[in-house]
This record gives sequence, C-alpha cells and structure tokens, in this order.
Amino acid sequence: MERILSAIFSREPYSASRNFLITAIFWLVLGTSVGLLASMQFDTPDALSGIAQLSFGRLRPVHINGVLIGWLSMGYAACMFYIIPVLAGRKGLWSELLGNWTMVLWNLAMVAGVLTLLNGDTEAREYAELAGTIHIGGASIQILDWAVLVVLLLLGVNAWMTVMTGTEKKWYVSIWYFLGALFWFPIVYIIGNRAFVHLDGLNDAITGWFYGHNILGMWFTVGGIGIMYYLIPKFTGNPLYSHTLSMIGFWTIGMFYAPTGTHHILQSPVPEWLKSVAVISSIFLLVPVLTVLTNFFMTLKGKWSTAADHVPLRFAISGGIAYLLTCIQGPFQATRSVNWYIHFTNWVVGHAHLALLATFSFFVFAASYYIIPRVTGRKMYSKRLAVWHFWLTLYGWIIMVVDLVIAGLVQSAGWHHGIPVDQWVIELVPYWWIRSFSGVLIVLGQILYMFNVYKTVFSPRQCEELPHSPTGIIYV
Amino acid sequence: MRINYFVAGGFVVLIFLVIIFVTTVLPASTFRPVPTPAAHQYTPKELAGRNIYRREGCFYCHTQFVRYQDRGGGEMVLAGDYMFETPHLLGTERTGPDLSNIGGKYADEWHKAHHRNPRKMKPGSIMPSFSYLSDKEMDELVAYLQTLGAGRKLPGWVAPPQEMRDEYDAIKSHVNVNSSAAANAGRGIFMQNCAACHGIRGLGNGPISLTMEKKPANFTRPFYKNYSDAMWYWRVKEGVPGTRMPRWGQSLGKEQMLYLVAFLKTLPQDSQPAGAEIHSIEQVDDPFALDTNFKTIDNMMKTSGNPYGTSRNLGESR
Repeated sequence: MERILSAIFSREPYSASRNFLITAIFWLVLGTSVGLLASMQFDTPDALSGIAQLSFGRLRPVHINGVLIGWLSMGYAACMFYIIPVLAGRKGLWSELLGNWTMVLWNLAMVAGVLTLLNGDTEAREYAELAGTIHIGGASIQILDWAVLVVLLLLGVNAWMTVMTGTEKKWYVSIWYFLGALFWFPIVYIIGNRAFVHLDGLNDAITGWFYGHNILGMWFTVGGIGIMYYLIPKFTGNPLYSHTLSMIGFWTIGMFYAPTGTHHILQSPVPEWLKSVAVISSIFLLVPVLTVLTNFFMTLKGKWSTAADHVPLRFAISGGIAYLLTCIQGPFQATRSVNWYIHFTNWVVGHAHLALLATFSFFVFAASYYIIPRVTGRKMYSKRLAVWHFWLTLYGWIIMVVDLVIAGLVQSAGWHHGIPVDQWVIELVPYWWIRSFSGVLIVLGQILYMFNVYKTVFSPRQCEELPHSPTGIIYV
Repeated sequence: MRINYFVAGGFVVLIFLVIIFVTTVLPASTFRPVPTPAAHQYTPKELAGRNIYRREGCFYCHTQFVRYQDRGGGEMVLAGDYMFETPHLLGTERTGPDLSNIGGKYADEWHKAHHRNPRKMKPGSIMPSFSYLSDKEMDELVAYLQTLGAGRKLPGWVAPPQEMRDEYDAIKSHVNVNSSAAANAGRGIFMQNCAACHGIRGLGNGPISLTMEKKPANFTRPFYKNYSDAMWYWRVKEGVPGTRMPRWGQSLGKEQMLYLVAFLKTLPQDSQPAGAEIHSIEQVDDPFALDTNFKTIDNMMKTSGNPYGTSRNLGESR
C-alpha cells in the first residue's frame, strides 16, 4: 500500500506520465467493454431487460465518456507529460506532484462520472454527458463538468510552465500543437457544457454541436497530430520533412476546424448561412489534413519496410492511413448532397470509430509502446502480445467500419423510401451481430494490451537511469 | 525570439475568438425565431416526462426533426417549434422512428404496453424494454410523448393556392371533368400510374402500400367530398408534402391529369370508419359473388355508383 501511494504521489521524473498511462488503459478496457455490451443489446434486446443501469440509453454515454474523457484524453495527457519535458529540455515536468494530483483528480472524476451516468444523471448533450448534478439551495451545479475543466487547466498550467522553464528555447512543432490543444480545449469545453447561459432550442443545438465537433477538432486531432510529429521522426530516425508544412497545418486547423459543428444538423431549420460556413470550412479541412499527412509520409520516406519489425511504427502508420480515410470521408460527408443521404444512419457511427479508434487511439498505442519503457525503465513484457494487440484491433475496426457503412446505407434506404422502421430494422440483424463480433476482437485486443502493460510495469526494474532524451533504442 | 511566440500566440487567441463569435455568439444573438403553435410550453408533469426521456437516453435512437427528405415523416418542422426545447433533443442517429409527430398517433395505453414490452407491440423492434420505470414515471413519459407535434397538426384540409386555382381555371375548359368519357379515360391512367399504391378501387391498399410508413390516401373516405376540382388537380400535379405521392405534373400531361380528376371524382366517397357500423355488417360467403338483389349492372350502378357492390363491402376503410 505504501509503495502504491508513493508511486501515485511521486515527484520522480516522468511518474505522472506513467501513472496517467496505466490508469488510461484501465478506462480503455472498461470503455470498450461497455461499448461491446451496448452493441449486444442490438442483437438480443431482451437479454438484460428490466435492469435500468444496463439499458442501452445508459450504457452508451458510459462508453463514449469512458473512451473519450477516460482513455483518449488521459492517454494524451500521458503522452504530453513525456514529450513536452523531453522537447523542452527538462528532466521531468515542472511539477510531477501536480501532474500526479491531476491524474488522481481525473480518475476520481471518471469513477464518479461512470457511476452517475449509469444511474441516469446525464446532461443529455452528445459528448458532454458528464454531469454529477448536485443541488445546493435552488441551484443545481454539475460538478463533474467543473472537475474536468479543472484538470484540463492543471494540465495546461503544468505543460506551459514546463515549456517556460525548459532549457530548449526553440519550440518544436509538437509543442505548438500541445499548447494549442491545451488552450483551445478548455474554452470549447466550457462553451459546450455551459450551465450559466440559457439558450433556446436550436441555438442550444448550434452551440452543442460547436462543442461536439470541436472536442474532436481542437483536442483529439490537434493532440494526436502533436504526438505523431514527435514519434515519426523518432521511429524512423529521419528529420521532419518540412517544418513549414507543419506550421501551415497548425494554423489551418485553428482556422477551419472550429466553425464546422453545424454540419451535424444540416437538415434542421437553423440559419442557412451557418450551414454554409460549416460545409465550406469542412471541405477546407482537406488543407490541414493533406499537409499533415504529406509531412508524415514524406518523413517516413525510405523507412516503410522497418514497420515490418517495429510494432509502434506499425500502429503509427495504420493510424496515419486511417486518418487519411477519416478525413477524406469527413468533408465528403459534410457536403449537403452526401449528408442528405447518410445523415442519421450508422454510417456516421462507423465514421466516429474510424476517427477515434482507428486513428487517435492507434496514435496513443504507438506512443505508449514507445513511452512505457522510457518512463518505467523496463522492457515491454512481450512483443508477441503487442503484435496480437495490433492485429486484433486493426481487424476489429476494419470489420466494424465496413459493417456499419453497409448497415448505414441499408438504414438510409429505409428512411428514404418511407419504409416503416419495424420492417427494415429486421434487415439489419446480421449487421448488428457482425458489429458485436468486431467488438469482441477489439475488447480482446485491449485486454491483451492491458495485460502486457501491467506485466511490464509491475516487473523488476531493468535500468536505473531513465533516459533524458532517448533516441534510437527500440524496446518492442 | 521569445517575443515572436507571443505575437503568434496572440494570433491563435484572436482567430479562435473570432470563430467562437461567428459560430456561437452571432447565431445566438441574431437567430431569434418566432414561436409557432407547435412550440409547446411544458406542464410540470410533461417536463418530468421529458427529463425521463433525457435520462433514459431515448434521444440516442429517436430524433426529433423531420427533414425535407423524410417521406412519410409527417408535417415539416419550423425553427420556431423549438423555442421551449432546452436542452435540445434533436438527436444524431435514427435507429427508431422520428418522434416529432408521435403525439396523438397512439393511445396512452398502447405507449405504456410498448414501453414495457416493445416486441409485443412491434415484432422485430430492438427497442430496450423500459419495464423498470414506475407507473408514475411511465405516465409522465407518455404525457410528454403525447405533446410531441400536437401543435403541428393542421386544423383542417388545405385549400389550393391561388396560382393553382388560376392555372386550373385556365385549362378546365379542355376536359369536362364531370363526363363519364373523361372518367373512363382517367380510369386507365389511374390503373397504370396510381393503382400500385392506392389500389384498384382507390382504397389506399395497393401492394406497395405495405412498405409505406405513411399509408396512401383512401379516396372512399367522406373527407374527399370536401375536395374541389382544383384541389384534386393540385394534389395530382404537385404531390402531397410529407408523403411519397409523386408530383405527376412532372410526367403526365395537363389533359391526362384532368382525366384523372374526372375519375377520382367518381369514386364513392361515403365509406364510414369500420368501427362505427361493424355490428351491422352481414356475413358474406363469397365477397366476389354479385349481390343477387341487383339484376342488371345498370340497376346496380344506379344504387351504389359502384360496379363491385355496395360501399360497405369494400372492406375496412383507412
């Protein structure tokens, strides 16, 4: 117990990064398992009926918040807490203790979040469900919103002070991306979860989708790309192909990502000019996406074959390719003529998994296999498990996305021909089963991943001196 | 060098604030739709039902706006309908039906039975069972559902717009829509184009109607007595919004549409809802045998205006 406490509230360099990663993986396994359970309710709707906490409407927010706020955001925090000190030329964060407290607070918020969501305390806005409502006097306060905001600000302060107190005076592009994400996301979060401004109906929807898309655009995209800009040169040993391109990508993300939210409600009666702004900026998203990917793939030049033997690089490359697919799909879906057909269908659910599982989670997987040996001083327990993790997750998302795209088209045909729901919903039964099968593959992969990481972390330490700015050593 | 970072950082802040202003503050301050009759101010009971709808995550599968491409979704929504809908429940994905016009469609007891065991009321449905809701909660939820779209129902039938009446007046001399010759010509056009959905007797039970969310019109309902010639012409030419009725003006000629109007006017428009006279219907052994009371086809036409028998034999009206 004492050892665990001292590991949690440690001042040791990189301990915050390690602790964040270990807990994030727990939320990953929990979040994906809940997702699998929710998907099984499509196959056998009566299997768990009568249990309020396990009905689909309660499980879905737990799945979403578990993987988004629990796994991905904490995984990003872990990556930032390793990459920022290294790039700033510091040994460890400005305050590892503050970092570890942030980790503890974040996990407490997530535990409370899962319990309150299961018991029906939700804000009922997509991606912003965390509420934790408490009533003081006549007012109700959603403390979990404030808790997430506080941990994001603590994260931002720590990252900022680390950069400011570092010895390296030139900012590598990843630092731009991380500090940008840590500046943008708290603002987006407070707008999305506002409890202090009452907006009428459709204005609430507009603002809700401003948040709903920018949690992806200004946090997951920006953070994930920042991680990859650090990892790809490290993995390949090549210098970054173009610093100018990376900066063009950074600025255009800031310009074009933020106004795109309204493309989620294109057929609703919101102002037409706002829809046009959203569609046009969605198409312009191709600019940052293509600059970023050109940069990634040109940096990989001559080193593609190393991916055969280098598991983190494999994760990184498949994540990059999934990013290309996502971001070609995204602007294509946002145009009015395509959105007309696929809106409201499972196609979009497939797209969300392509972005968050196939792209950004893969980036964090790649980073974690690189970071864990460096923050713990231990070799990864098993390369074979990592390879299994890769293939199970890869096939899992491919099956899921292809399946959901087809299911979405069937569903959309039902809507557009005015066929009653209880008739076309029967057609989708095989697709629900295939989705659950892909979910089994994904959950299995994540359990192997958790086993591999925990086995590594709790094994005896193999090297005393943690590397300050490690290069070239490949542990997996 | 440091100062450059601050200049650049200032730009990040500035651009982002401008975007926030344009996409959230500007709509919130300029987009102020006027509340329509469909905008419903909830009573405490209905509000409690709405909170149950939110709590149980109904909005993950049920949307609350009819898009222009939703055939059979009912009346379109307007911006002002949502004035009292905070937080919004527009929804993102439709695994179940759209609920913007669900109010008044089913009885309260149907809703309760459906929530307790969805498969019993709709076989094949994958809706979770909400049997764990207490009776009070179920009452509140159903009270909320019954408000949805209640203010969006039209008070009566729609009259054709002025330009359509003018158009009809300009061409009505081409065909005498009251003549049996025109009706006969229209009958062929009806059989070729309309019978697949509306059925050969205009009962709205053609084979394709099985697959339709919004069932085709049954022209034998007394409601159609209200239709003027211009109204028939308008509906044939421009279709019916919110349904799969095509705009025949795109493919039929004007005379052909007038022939159709002539035929539609001859359909019997006196059938009653089945419930009203269900006890007075006699047992008929062979529904296709001619009624022996009618010796000749002329006599039969004189009595009922319908060569297939009296209207009550036409089956259940929709």
